[in-house]
Amino acid sequence: MKKNTAAMKLIVFICNWGPHTAMHTLQEQGADIPNEIGLIRVPCAGRINRALLLRAFEMGADGVALLGCSAGACRYGSGTETAVGNIDDMQEILDLLGIGRQRLRLGMSLPDEAPQLLQFLKTFSDDIRALGKSPVEPQAMKAVQAQAPDTAALVRAIIAGRDVFACQDCGKCTSACPLALTGKNYSPRAIANAVITGGATSETVQKDVRACLTCGLCHERCPSDVNFPEFIRDLRGLERPDSETRSEAHEGFFQSLMRTMASPGLTTRKWQWLGNDVAIDPASKTLFWGGCAAYFDYFFRNFLAVKTRDILVDSLKLLNFFDIKPAVLEDERCCGHDLLWAGDEKNFLRLARLNAQAIKEHGIEEIICACPECYRTFVHDYPAHGIELACKVTHLYDILEREIDKGAVGFKKLEHAVTFQDPCRLSRLEGKADLPRKLISRLKTQGFKEMQDFGAAALCCGNCAWTGCDAYSKKLQVLRLKQARATGSDLLITSCPKCQIHLTCAMEDPIQSGDIKIEMIDLTGVLVKTLRWE
Amino acid sequence: MTKAAAITTKKEILVTGFGGQGVVLIGSILGQAAALGDHRESTQVQSYGPESRGGYCCSQIIIDDRQIQYPYVRRPDILVCMSQTGYDKYAYMLLDTTLLITDQDLVKPIGFDRDYLSIPATRLAEEMGRKMIANIVMLGFFSSVTLAVSRKSVEEAVKDSVPKGTEEMNLNAFKKGWDYGAAMLKGREKKAAGHAGVAS
Repeated sequence: MKKNTAAMKLIVFICNWGPHTAMHTLQEQGADIPNEIGLIRVPCAGRINRALLLRAFEMGADGVALLGCSAGACRYGSGTETAVGNIDDMQEILDLLGIGRQRLRLGMSLPDEAPQLLQFLKTFSDDIRALGKSPVEPQAMKAVQAQAPDTAALVRAIIAGRDVFACQDCGKCTSACPLALTGKNYSPRAIANAVITGGATSETVQKDVRACLTCGLCHERCPSDVNFPEFIRDLRGLERPDSETRSEAHEGFFQSLMRTMASPGLTTRKWQWLGNDVAIDPASKTLFWGGCAAYFDYFFRNFLAVKTRDILVDSLKLLNFFDIKPAVLEDERCCGHDLLWAGDEKNFLRLARLNAQAIKEHGIEEIICACPECYRTFVHDYPAHGIELACKVTHLYDILEREIDKGAVGFKKLEHAVTFQDPCRLSRLEGKADLPRKLISRLKTQGFKEMQDFGAAALCCGNCAWTGCDAYSKKLQVLRLKQARATGSDLLITSCPKCQIHLTCAMEDPIQSGDIKIEMIDLTGVLVKTLRWE
Repeated sequence: MTKAAAITTKKEILVTGFGGQGVVLIGSILGQAAALGDHRESTQVQSYGPESRGGYCCSQIIIDDRQIQYPYVRRPDILVCMSQTGYDKYAYMLLDTTLLITDQDLVKPIGFDRDYLSIPATRLAEEMGRKMIANIVMLGFFSSVTLAVSRKSVEEAVKDSVPKGTEEMNLNAFKKGWDYGAAMLKGREKKAAGHAGVAS
């Protein structure tokens, strides 16, 4: 293959069997294969998952093609089918991202279809050339530093910054930790001790640092007010770049998605799916910030079939109900929460600056968030990192509570006994556990009962920042769902799309699902169903 | 009712309730707001006697742009009832055009078959921590649904009329009633347009 010298970068993942044989024929014939194509030979097209496809774009590919065997010809049976599904999902996601579905395509060929393959490659190359360069700016994947950073000094700074020496070694953190509760050999106190005594970079500590849920229960209980979640976050930033994918869930897809969104040239199409049943006012100085729910729904549609996008539609409907017509940012990016908590402060800051700039350019005076993570990040982490938004940030529930409190509205009966899963970012980290409860107490339910652990002491949904998901996460989710079932309720109200995703995931368990299955709905969904003018 | 129409026509207002609920204060605040704030003519007469120590009680207010010759209400434009006896005793005065406003939990307008407005003023005041401010909640509601006096003038009059140190609490109560009234009108509008729920 000729060395790629053209400006365009096209990546072709090619299956070892059918298509590669055809490609081999082309190469032997000295066929006119477009110059800019870089071939990556893989055992089966079905093994190129969505994370890898996205990764190619994140690294600066202008076009990506996946070449597999024709339907029915897969050597492993399901490879072609898997590849078709992955490409479908990715095309939707690329559209939302503003990269465009045309840049990703699937080709299928049999060993003897060399001319067709050549035609496919030529069309692919021509089409991408017509589209031009990808709006994504590739980043140096591995930070090449002139000299190794002084890790010891960084660790000392982290210890001082989070006041870890104040630790009294009492162990309340470990007794509160949900991970320890699931039986995992895990101790926040031991991590603090190990870091203080110079073990920050050891394999076990690094692993433990990645496993933390950053749910904040330990900080809640700590008599010395050591902010353990933020301490963990700092430590994650220290990780060696080459070990970056070690503990990322979903093969690092979401981290890759967020980093891709940090490209300044990218114009996302975040709201293109929004229907006419909600009213938006582009000139409004009040902005509704949606968050990443739309991406989640495409990513999880074949497995969990969660409908987190409905939370955004329902939120907008509720605002419309009270005659609030907010603007939405058509090119809204990720708030950066998950990157920050996964330890990638650099890319978090890139996103934060781009967001702050976009919000400023639109002259926004108030941001309304429905997602607890976006809310926490805007009100707390942006200012803490020197990013000033210069506008008010309000949680949707605050607005709804204010409007409902004015009176003249009522609720239809809800034929369910309900319980509530606290979102850690709102209930614990921002101390607003009573806010969703005020709304729930107004509902006409068959009864509201708290789970064994609730409010600031609530158990986590099992994962945070798409990192460190393992068997103990699952165990924690099962435990939490059993608590929900023990209340005798038949409806679990949630307030965060992640809680929905993670708890739904646990319920997929074919063996235990009988004991843990419970209907789940976001609070906005309940309100949309029942709220009405009296 | 448009705002312009509200401000240029004569209004005869009757406020009734238990003695001690502060219906006289409602009247004097309204009169003061109309006269000092909106620069119009106003009169206020109140029942005075044993009833002001319990039992029913009433306050009669007239607001006009011309000089008022007779201060008693004969043809009420608005009847505000904060107690059942207050309603029972004055129901005979209701005309076809009279707007009836009641405390939702305390008054059942028996024999009244037209549309009327109500607010759980006493309950809202209790929820705010002081039952005493029910009259100001009612005043806020009255002001927002009738627009008989301008909001700014009433708020000023409230500030001047309540005991020192309780201004903020009373203004909050006023806002509570005002918001409730505004929300109710909006809700009625939405329902009339067939949009009662969020989804429909």
